[in-house]
Amino acid sequence: MGVALGGGCVGSLGDAPGESSGTVGPVPKPDAQALETSRFPRLSHLQWENSVQDLLYLTQPSGISASFTGDPLGGVFDNNESSLLVTPGLWADFQLAAEELSVLATSDAAKVAKLMPANAPTEPTARAKAFLEHFGMRAYRRPLSPTELTAYLALFAKGKALVDGPDDFTKGVRLSLQAFLQSPHFIYRVEAGGADLPLSGFELATKLSYMLWNTMPDDALLTAASSGKLATPEGILTAAQRLLDDDRARVMVASFHHQLFQYDHYDDLNKDPVLFPNFTPALGADMKREAEMFVEEVVFKQDGGIREILTEPTTFVNKELAEIYGLQGTFGADFVKVSLDPKQRSGFLTRVGFLASNATKLEQHSIHRGVFINRRVICAKLPDPPNNVPPLPPAADYKTTRERVEKHTGVGTCGASCHGSLINPAGFAFEHYDALGQYKTEEHGNPINSSDTYPLDGKDVSYGDAVAFDDLLGESDQVHTCYAKHWLQYAYGRADQKADAPALADLAQESRKGARALILALTQTQAFRTRAPHQETP
Amino acid sequence: MIQRRHFLRGLGGAVIALPFLETFAPKRALAAGYPPFAVFMRQANGVVQKTDEPEMFWPKNLGKLTKADLASQTDRAVSVLSDYADKLLVVRGVNFGFPGNGCGHSGGGNQCLTAAKVSDTPSGAGSLSMGESIDNRIARELQPAGVEPLTLYAGKMSGYIDEVLSYRGPKMLRAAERDPFVAYTKLFGAANIDAAALERLKAARSSVNDLVRGDMKALMSRTDLSKDDKNRLELHFQSIRDLETTMSCSLPDMRLAEMEAIQPKVGTSDNVQIVTKMQMDIIALAVSCGVVRAATLQIGDGNDSTEYTIDGKKQYSYHWISHRIQGDGDTGAPIDNAVEIHHGIDKIHGNLMKYLLDKLSSYTMGSGTLLDSGVVVWTNDLANKYHSYSNVPYVLAGGANGFLKTGQFIDAGDVTNNKMWNVVGSAVGCRNNGKNMDDFGDPSLSPGFIEAMMT
Repeated sequence: MGVALGGGCVGSLGDAPGESSGTVGPVPKPDAQALETSRFPRLSHLQWENSVQDLLYLTQPSGISASFTGDPLGGVFDNNESSLLVTPGLWADFQLAAEELSVLATSDAAKVAKLMPANAPTEPTARAKAFLEHFGMRAYRRPLSPTELTAYLALFAKGKALVDGPDDFTKGVRLSLQAFLQSPHFIYRVEAGGADLPLSGFELATKLSYMLWNTMPDDALLTAASSGKLATPEGILTAAQRLLDDDRARVMVASFHHQLFQYDHYDDLNKDPVLFPNFTPALGADMKREAEMFVEEVVFKQDGGIREILTEPTTFVNKELAEIYGLQGTFGADFVKVSLDPKQRSGFLTRVGFLASNATKLEQHSIHRGVFINRRVICAKLPDPPNNVPPLPPAADYKTTRERVEKHTGVGTCGASCHGSLINPAGFAFEHYDALGQYKTEEHGNPINSSDTYPLDGKDVSYGDAVAFDDLLGESDQVHTCYAKHWLQYAYGRADQKADAPALADLAQESRKGARALILALTQTQAFRTRAPHQETP
Repeated sequence: MIQRRHFLRGLGGAVIALPFLETFAPKRALAAGYPPFAVFMRQANGVVQKTDEPEMFWPKNLGKLTKADLASQTDRAVSVLSDYADKLLVVRGVNFGFPGNGCGHSGGGNQCLTAAKVSDTPSGAGSLSMGESIDNRIARELQPAGVEPLTLYAGKMSGYIDEVLSYRGPKMLRAAERDPFVAYTKLFGAANIDAAALERLKAARSSVNDLVRGDMKALMSRTDLSKDDKNRLELHFQSIRDLETTMSCSLPDMRLAEMEAIQPKVGTSDNVQIVTKMQMDIIALAVSCGVVRAATLQIGDGNDSTEYTIDGKKQYSYHWISHRIQGDGDTGAPIDNAVEIHHGIDKIHGNLMKYLLDKLSSYTMGSGTLLDSGVVVWTNDLANKYHSYSNVPYVLAGGANGFLKTGQFIDAGDVTNNKMWNVVGSAVGCRNNGKNMDDFGDPSLSPGFIEAMMT
């Protein structure tokens, strides 16, 4: 085992394979590394869904993207530009969606009127032009060029012969909508400027709204773009603050944590019915709801960040979850805010969703909990499990889970480099929580040992239990750097690169002021405001 | 959700159904000499075969396979296919050519259908293949331009390693469809439309396509694009297709209703076999209608974590069982009877393959069946519980119109899997300079065939 795990775990603390380093090591000069990013990051399926809803003024999401061809994994988040391609299957999805939506959004005169500018002329050609300029600005998220407008006018005129509709104007609108929704200027967040140039106001508006809302800019943001108000970092900050105060930002923040903390893993839980008679598969949905409400409370009500996410003992429960937490009182189907016993519970890592989804059907899984914390909270460098897994020694009787895990992987065994120093200590802090996340004081009649030592921020720190470990994590530079790195990946829709290192160091400091401060800081970096140099291909 | 109208759609946007829909009719007579096709079904996590554990996969003896003999070998997983003994071609002695890069499962998945190297970056669980897959090669050469190989999936997506099989080219992993209802609708969904309306639809789509192509060309004409961005736009541009028409087929309404009903739960362990069979219905329909010549079906995620039910009991994660321990890493408490349970999971996969063979055999063609025109491959991205890449399982069925020498169990003699795919690709019709394709996979591998597979 030791050979396979090798030295990968020891020494440098950094990132999963394929990702670059955070604050560790000397900080390179800004010009030392080139930042390579796409000029054509495609909208994620969520962004597409939100965009068509806003663009066409639909009262609810169309739901069409649920049947789109999926995207392959591209790291932790669903919006990594390297994985988002328009393939033949997805192009057909876009085409069909455009055809459906062109009818859906114009099914009566009132809906068509919504797509029009105020005071549009009535003469047919002038009216068509007014529609195309107004709608085109919103679909392309910038004014149409004269060439583009000419092409759309020609297409509009073909509508009356080629599509169905109540009148010629609506027919023209429908055919034009089909093209707008299939254009690369709608499907991609196009950044057309040259290398190292500041992005245009419209490009910045687009970048801001997709980062903070996962959708297209609203009229106010487009107006700010056209009037030059996004030309300075201060102007960007003002706009970003407005966006962050909107409910759409809450959905974005929820989506980030949903993916980072893997709430999807709560969907297919399986617990032993004899040991856990209070478990039903429906609990998974309750655990998700709890996690969502908890993060929203911390980030938006308390203005907190990763420190509070890891340490805040407030949460939200219904009757079923209250029972698992051992809460006294009367609870019903609705979720209510409660304070958990601060001696037994702190933040997210002591919530039943995390604990139960990193457990077997019988007992806690210390190793899985430890791996999750190392990878997703601390960004410690762990290699994947080894290529070859040798057979285990024969089964033996151990008093506790911890004893058994230590026997195979702990200090003094061949698994010591990863498991002994990083994985086990992080996982063992949570030995008091069983396979369902319930707090227990003994295991098989034996006392539980949840104390250990972990190398955090370059020095060994010791703790007695999960609450104390979470407190240490909440103050750790490594944890704040890790949180900032994940936010950078999500906010910018790409993997972090070596050239991001200086900005990441600053962002880690902002993380200490809370998630909102960190998100706003992400709009103030050079990487946000400009296109970086890259290798050109003639 | 807004109620959706039914619009015309079809494979890759390039094909739509004409109004006369046929029902899925077993025993429907097809013309003999039907164009050959290949279906690749992938199991994860290796099989129980001879290591420090007993042999429980391969038939007992090399040579001719007979129904009675194979049926009697109940301790061998391949025995569940004894009904098809004369149509089987079981091949041992085939290896992957290259090491993985930090993760045995991912590296195996990368090479499984590609015979290509594993990427330097990304590495570990995120590693990718450095070449195209055999289904892509078949589709590229034998299907109309813009029509992709059918790429299906059954079961969980854990977010660790999900789909692994189908590659457009180096590092270009193709997403797999896990929802049978969606897969079906994309292939066969259709509405009645008269000829005049069809002409108008063609004209409308081509007018829109022209405008979009203009936007694309303007972007592609720039000289300051990175290579990745050039490739990104090129793939998009090539994906834009004008409308073509073809005949189509359909599944019975009841079967579609079942597919629709299972949509919210396509990823659960309890449904993995049900979803696999639905995907197989779609594959059988697609090849019988001639809309694809290559299809892949991946069962379970990269290191399949499905909790299979065996003997009425829901078992641990298959990945854990395959390593005989309660854990995804290299440690965990031992699992009782893990070898027997793994063998049971091998048989589940064998029986799933049998379901597909039954489907394909229900189409009669001259003196044979549709199965005789194509080839189905049950393979794995690992050989055994040790993440080994040597002696990977290959169980083929169907002769591809007589190209393959079926009814036998052979030893290929320690060759790399590019030779396996050269045979299968050639059987389906792939050519290299007008001759059988002999150059699939990484160029550093020795080219050629496993000749004992061929008649």
